Amino acid sequence: MVSRRDFFGGAGAVALSAGLVSRVGAASLPEAPQMDKAATRPPLSPPNGRPYNPVVTLNGWTLPWRMNNGVKEFHLVAEPVVRELAPGMKAHLWGYNGQSPGPTIEVVEGDRVRLFVTNKLPEHTSVHWHGQRLPAGMDGVTGLTQPGIKPGKTFVYEFIAKRPGTFMYHPHADEMTQMAMGMMGFWVTHPKDVNAHRVDRDFCFLLNAYDIEPGSATPKTATMTDFNLWTFNSRVFPGIDSMVCGLNDRVRIRVGNLTMTNHPIHLHGHEFVVAGTDGGWTNPASRWPEVTTDIAVGQMRAIEFDATEPGDWAFHCHKSHHTMNAMGHDVPTLIGVDHRGIAEKINKLVPDYMVMGDKGGSMGDMEMPLPENTLPMMTGTGPFGGMEMGGMFTTVKVRKGQARGDYKDPGWYKHPAGTVAYEWQGGQADLPAAQQSPGTAAAAPKPGEKVLKVRKGSGHGSH
Amino acid sequence: MNRSALLLRSTALGAATLVLAGCATFSPDGGFDSVQTLTKERIGKNTRWVKSDADKAGVVAAIAPLLAKPLSVEDAVTVALMNNQGLQASYAELGISEANLVQAGRIRNPVFSFGRLTRGGEIELERSLMLPVMSLLTMPVATRIERRSFEQAQLRAAGEALRLADDTRRTYFSAVAAQEHAVYMEQVKLAAEAAAELARRMAVAGNFSKLDHAREQAFYADVLVQLARARQTSTEQRERLTRLMGLSAAALVQLPNRLPDLPTAPREVQALEAGAMQNRLDVIMARRELSGLASSLGLTKATRFVNLLDISYLRNSFNESPNRESGYEIELQIPLFDWGGARVARAEAMYMQAVQRASETAVNARSEVREAYSAYRTTYDIARHYRDEIVPLKKRISDEQLLRYNGMLISVFELLADSRSQVLSVNASIEAQRDFWMAESALQMAQTGRAAAPAAASKAPSAVAEPAGH
Ligand SMILES: [Cu+2]
Repeated sequence: MVSRRDFFGGAGAVALSAGLVSRVGAASLPEAPQMDKAATRPPLSPPNGRPYNPVVTLNGWTLPWRMNNGVKEFHLVAEPVVRELAPGMKAHLWGYNGQSPGPTIEVVEGDRVRLFVTNKLPEHTSVHWHGQRLPAGMDGVTGLTQPGIKPGKTFVYEFIAKRPGTFMYHPHADEMTQMAMGMMGFWVTHPKDVNAHRVDRDFCFLLNAYDIEPGSATPKTATMTDFNLWTFNSRVFPGIDSMVCGLNDRVRIRVGNLTMTNHPIHLHGHEFVVAGTDGGWTNPASRWPEVTTDIAVGQMRAIEFDATEPGDWAFHCHKSHHTMNAMGHDVPTLIGVDHRGIAEKINKLVPDYMVMGDKGGSMGDMEMPLPENTLPMMTGTGPFGGMEMGGMFTTVKVRKGQARGDYKDPGWYKHPAGTVAYEWQGGQADLPAAQQSPGTAAAAPKPGEKVLKVRKGSGHGSH
Repeated sequence: MNRSALLLRSTALGAATLVLAGCATFSPDGGFDSVQTLTKERIGKNTRWVKSDADKAGVVAAIAPLLAKPLSVEDAVTVALMNNQGLQASYAELGISEANLVQAGRIRNPVFSFGRLTRGGEIELERSLMLPVMSLLTMPVATRIERRSFEQAQLRAAGEALRLADDTRRTYFSAVAAQEHAVYMEQVKLAAEAAAELARRMAVAGNFSKLDHAREQAFYADVLVQLARARQTSTEQRERLTRLMGLSAAALVQLPNRLPDLPTAPREVQALEAGAMQNRLDVIMARRELSGLASSLGLTKATRFVNLLDISYLRNSFNESPNRESGYEIELQIPLFDWGGARVARAEAMYMQAVQRASETAVNARSEVREAYSAYRTTYDIARHYRDEIVPLKKRISDEQLLRYNGMLISVFELLADSRSQVLSVNASIEAQRDFWMAESALQMAQTGRAAAPAAASKAPSAVAEPAGH
């Protein structure tokens, strides 16, 4: 839960902050709630101000606010954080209020918003409110619209959330470093009319990427394109929560891209439409169905669909290396290379050496020790075995009877009989009567008839 | 008496005989006991003088059990001290020297010569009787010189024994290390072979370019040369040790697989330089030489007519040219024209020269022992650093690399390259350990005999060029 830790009582990573903010100033600051867990928090229903339908931040949370004479006041603290990327790996990042990405800020169209930003980083920062219409001086670009917020200082941004839609916030100061370190967050401006674009489930998250050397914890901030951890809200599969939906729910997923490359985001089992872009809501008449939409660098997209198909549906970036965790890029291909006699020789020098990759990239069920704080390259176990996925992958779980507002993981889908792909057993098992066009029945194999069998290569570990 | 010697009418014959009585006998041990003691005091080991077949059989029997098992450094030294033929030759010098001593103490036999020469019809008969009067006059001086020479021979023989012990120790460590090195190079070869073979198969499967394949092959080819060199060095060192131990075949030597462990702490040596002044044989020889010259000088001053300083100056060393000249020459002159002033001056200059040489010996000895101790401590620290820091770190790197290989973060080629580099660091560690033991022996030598060649500062481990990672 939100730990209601007083900002000045909390031991900040930058010790000088307390001394630099005056007591008079401090008294008037709204508190800066902290989050110490990376799990998805339930939606935060607005306790005051204008009503709206809250979003669910995947593996994240929404920042509580204070109403002050009709102004919504938030307090963001930019600070070093430790973010669990998945069980077994923690990253040393920079974020806001205890997590990276920072908390989602939810406001309603027309709200007057006042944002206090305290800098507990070792260098100056700023916050740019990506996509908002606001006075130029509130745009958060250091040098251009404001001086940098020096370590220990608190700045105030204030503007009216004019346009409903999907937004982001991130620093516009030493951007490459600060974004590589995880400084970013989501922003949703809900429509004034609670029933406009109303959906049953409204998920949101950011796409981000890190380059963390296996065995270490801090991203390499100089990396430009060759990242090795591709994340949804700074989590990698299987550390990413599922998006749980009730059958026939109208579902919205809002995605913002703050990586340095585009991501074709793909949903299985349903078609969706792109209902919102960076510029706002799309005209319903102009929406076309998709199963994949590309989200370019710096873009936001809101996709919507009716969850009409029960099951566990994969949802992921379609760049296959984005659904893997750290791997070596200079590893030669060993497929089809005969290893007889060589492994024995190598074992004399490296006793724990095992041949890998000679049948392909699959690690099968091998569990081998890895460098500390390093996740396996492809992992995740489903009800049928290894999923061999990592990075930007999760599932949309559609269940009949999933109560409205219940986001608890219902477990693996229980498939109705006869709806799971199965191994062909020759002619021994009776095939269910297939629906077929008239006149083709004669061509179907008769019981006991020999059917051509295709031999598959032997499994891993047989050498 | 090989130069002009004047016959003097003998009057003092009786007195001289009296003085010299008892000088002219051989010692029962031939002077070897003293060599034995000098050696044992310094390295705690017995040596043997093999003079007969029975002695030889005794040596064979004594060394057989030592050769039956993997050889320790102590056993190697023991065998060398008993069985090295060069050392036996230097013991033989003792006999020669003692014979000279005995000879000097004996009155020469009277010589009667008869000559008959014919030239045409002329016949010339020559008869002479030479009586050993001269011997009587020079006998006390000659005996004293020969005694000194005999002592020097003993010191030299002991020095030879010490030098042999040192040589044997150092060669032993060299040989064990070279053998260990060759074994480790086999492992490097194995890794390179595996990589080259895998690269070949990858090229066959179409997964590797000719460039990558050639790189792995080239590395393997280089390693083969290094392995051949390592084996040759091992053979050389083994043969050297075999020679020092006086054995007929290298196969007789069984070397252990590894060098002895480092001592838990380096020796702290108290009064290092003072000890060296007491124990070093070259210092002792220089001191004796000096006192000999001092008495010669005194005699010269007293007689002015007996020139004792033409004895060839014995350099106070035992391991220089084997063709040392030794001996003496005594002249008696009739003071008719020269009253001996120049002779005294020359004697004084020679004495002073000996003083300078002796003090040079002392200065060098002190410096050498300090240097040897410094080398001892440094090699100890380096070897321990290899053992406690570098090798464990390399091992940790290899362990981490294996984890990265497990995660498909690096390729098997990088893993193999790393295991090779780990092997090479183990190798460097062995060299450091060898250097320590050699420095340890050199320190012993610097304290007792004369500094051996400065402890060879080991060069950095031969870096093997690595192929580019894949
Ligand atoms: Cu992607």
